[in-house]
Amino acid sequence: MKIAVVVQRYGPSINGGAELHARYIAERLARHCQVEVLTTCANDYVTWRNELSPGVEPVNGVQVRRFKVNHERDPLLFGKRSERVFAQRHSIGDELDWLDAEGPTSRALVDYIAKHAAEFDYCLFFSYRYYHAYYGARAAGGRAILVPTAERDATIGLSIFQPLFRSVRALMYNSPEERAMIQTISGNQDVPGIVVGVGSDVPNNPQAFRFRQKYNIRGPFAIYVGRIDQNKGCTELFEFFQGYQKDPTTRLSLVLIGNSLLPIPHHPRIRHLGFLNDTDKFDAMAAAELLVMPSYYESLSMVALEAWALGKAVLANGKCDVLKGQCVRSNAGLYYDGYEEFVGALEAMEHNRWLTGSLGRNGRQFFRDNYDWPVIERKYLEMFERLKAGSPARTGDPLPGWFDRRRQDLPAAEDVLARLPAGPALGQAGSAGSTAAKSALLTESGGRRRA
Amino acid sequence: MADFNLRSDSVNVEQIMEQIRTRIREKRGVDYTEQQIHELAAVKLEKFLDPKGVRSDLLDQFRKAQPAYEPPELPNFAFEESTLFESHRAPIRWMRKLLAPLLKLLFNPNPLIQALNIQSRLNAMNAEREARREAARRGLDQLYYELIHNLVLEATRTGIEVKNLKMRLESVSSRLEFNERRSRALEGAVVYKSAPEESPAPPQPQPPVQQYQQRTPPPPRQSQPSAPAPSALLVSAAVQTAAPADATTPVAGAPGAGEGPGQRSRRRRRRRGRRGGGAAAAVIGAAGAAPPAGQENTASADLAQPDDFDGPEDGDDSAEAQDIAAQGTKSAASSPAEDTPAHVSHDLMESYAPAVDPVETIAAPVAEQAEQAREVDHQHAAVPIAEAAEAANQPAVVQPPPISAAPSDHAATDATPATGEHPATGSGPADPDTNRQ
Repeated sequence: MKIAVVVQRYGPSINGGAELHARYIAERLARHCQVEVLTTCANDYVTWRNELSPGVEPVNGVQVRRFKVNHERDPLLFGKRSERVFAQRHSIGDELDWLDAEGPTSRALVDYIAKHAAEFDYCLFFSYRYYHAYYGARAAGGRAILVPTAERDATIGLSIFQPLFRSVRALMYNSPEERAMIQTISGNQDVPGIVVGVGSDVPNNPQAFRFRQKYNIRGPFAIYVGRIDQNKGCTELFEFFQGYQKDPTTRLSLVLIGNSLLPIPHHPRIRHLGFLNDTDKFDAMAAAELLVMPSYYESLSMVALEAWALGKAVLANGKCDVLKGQCVRSNAGLYYDGYEEFVGALEAMEHNRWLTGSLGRNGRQFFRDNYDWPVIERKYLEMFERLKAGSPARTGDPLPGWFDRRRQDLPAAEDVLARLPAGPALGQAGSAGSTAAKSALLTESGGRRRA
Repeated sequence: MADFNLRSDSVNVEQIMEQIRTRIREKRGVDYTEQQIHELAAVKLEKFLDPKGVRSDLLDQFRKAQPAYEPPELPNFAFEESTLFESHRAPIRWMRKLLAPLLKLLFNPNPLIQALNIQSRLNAMNAEREARREAARRGLDQLYYELIHNLVLEATRTGIEVKNLKMRLESVSSRLEFNERRSRALEGAVVYKSAPEESPAPPQPQPPVQQYQQRTPPPPRQSQPSAPAPSALLVSAAVQTAAPADATTPVAGAPGAGEGPGQRSRRRRRRRGRRGGGAAAAVIGAAGAAPPAGQENTASADLAQPDDFDGPEDGDDSAEAQDIAAQGTKSAASSPAEDTPAHVSHDLMESYAPAVDPVETIAAPVAEQAEQAREVDHQHAAVPIAEAAEAANQPAVVQPPPISAAPSDHAATDATPATGEHPATGSGPADPDTNRQ
């Protein structure tokens, strides 16, 4: 079996969520079948500048074929077209222009797929929102399997993607929330799909003490791992955490790992360590009491999964449906929807060690059951087998004609998004909690509070 | 193929979050939904806009100050199709009408006519809209005025209420403090009084300070503490300070000198029977404050009933406080500066007087009264003890001779209270009778 993995960027140094996801999947599937990665020469997701040389090169035992990007992203033009399609009534032509402005526009990549799609059994396209996925899936026809990595943002409201979701051979979702959202907006319930997600290479024996010694960190701390950005909810996190620190009984610090695009507040209990390698990162997570995930938009938080794999509890932003759903399904994390809930949840987790312990244990089991590599690989392989035995590919909707592209009858994408139902998909999450644990939490926390 | 195998061990995240939310609600109080908030806001707004709620004529004045709105007469014109060709002269009008087709051959006046006609209509519409807008604005102004007016009223009332509550809080706190102090003093008195009931021996006139000090370190060679009432303490202090020189040795001719133990004990029993308060009152009266005979008893009764005190704003209570302070001050003033009975009075004074301090309306008269009483006591400090005893219709209470291992050695020292140490301090002489009993 030969599989093509098509992704916008690829490389060992690229740590973006979908790109890393694609690399992990490619490397894991390479153990079971022949895998070729088709990607661009871009290294930076903002400019899509051609920084890597085109051609074929092996990366961690996987053959990678790179194609040049036709043009870099013009931020002004992209912003203008984004404003047009997200906030105003527009046409399909506007959306296609937006897609072209977003990039990475690589016609060579699409042409290659169109010519060589027959050489592959299946083409796995990562990230529905980019040029390569939209045009590449059309070029691949019935061999296209989409890993959408969709978040609840306005892009999902663009009408050009709805035929894409309906025309691919199968979808590999990251979460039940993502599946529900895509099925609602595109009506692709008859397209085979499965919630898979991605695993993580978590070391077996991370050294918490080593991290504490190396960075001179003492006492309990919560950790945030990822890009420190306003879009990730870090501004709110700083505000909430500083408010939480007004309670004199708290001993919890906040350790930040990742490149910062924001000024870090000067607070004795907030420490920024910058970008760390994987060893230090996992050591830090092992040393932490809990992981904080303040992001509003996640299709699948790999950091949260890694924390659960290490047996750590997670405190997530409840406004992110995916994170909230994962917390509820796993019984491995609390979530907040506002400052008071943040303080309440963090307080409960700090002062009830049994709670963080239980959440961490649940998280570890949740990871093993659903996101361990054998589980992920099995799901992919079973899907391939299922598709092979199933009906052949469907024909996709044709591209709109000249007049259709110019008809200004599409609603603003933000309006479409606003109409989508929100909240975690908990239909199948029949989690039952322990009443004893509930009463114990009440008693313990209340008693401490009264004391 | 199952997507997820859900597992829950010992915790349920949703339940925990619900507990956290419940706790937040409890901490925050009532948690209104958006709808409830809107309803509440609507209710309040209606209240504000209720004309009955406006309780002054400010609104009418405001309306009078603002004349009724009349839309201004804006200039305008009417422009129809025939306006260009009109004239008050009929022939000219006829000629223009006749030549109009020729004119239209040269240029097209229709756009001009249309534009001017539209402009005319626009002017009229604008004037109407402006008038409507102005009327609406004026209506809103009145509503805003009513709203602000009522807000001012409510804010003023709230401010007054806050002020009242602050004053009331101050009053209550001062009453509380006063009651605490009084109860503390009463507790001391009660403890002190219970001792002689256990003792079979009759009470022995004793320096009151010594009796007070017995609660802490017992004085040497003091076998049985005696327990006079607080009023008696004041009396004893006054007596002690009035006749310090006679206190050390038995006075010749004084009751008790040269008598047998039987006579002395009978006399003591008689004295004790009379000592309900008359003697104390008499002594105080003799000391210059001149209260009626029952005054001391009244004060004692007040002390025994702390609930009767209604607070500083109560006139009767302030009078009581003045009395108490004045008596305490009298006792303090009637003794030399280093005399120990004065300390007793000071203790009492400290117990009572500061409680009245927080309320200025009471504190000032009390301080003045105390000052006056101090002056009066200075004048009457040297009133002979015999006069006091005579006024009380009973024999004077004489300080018994000191009891010590070497009474003669201490006699000279103890006879001068200004320089010597008082028996209550432990180094002075004690009552030999008490010792014997």
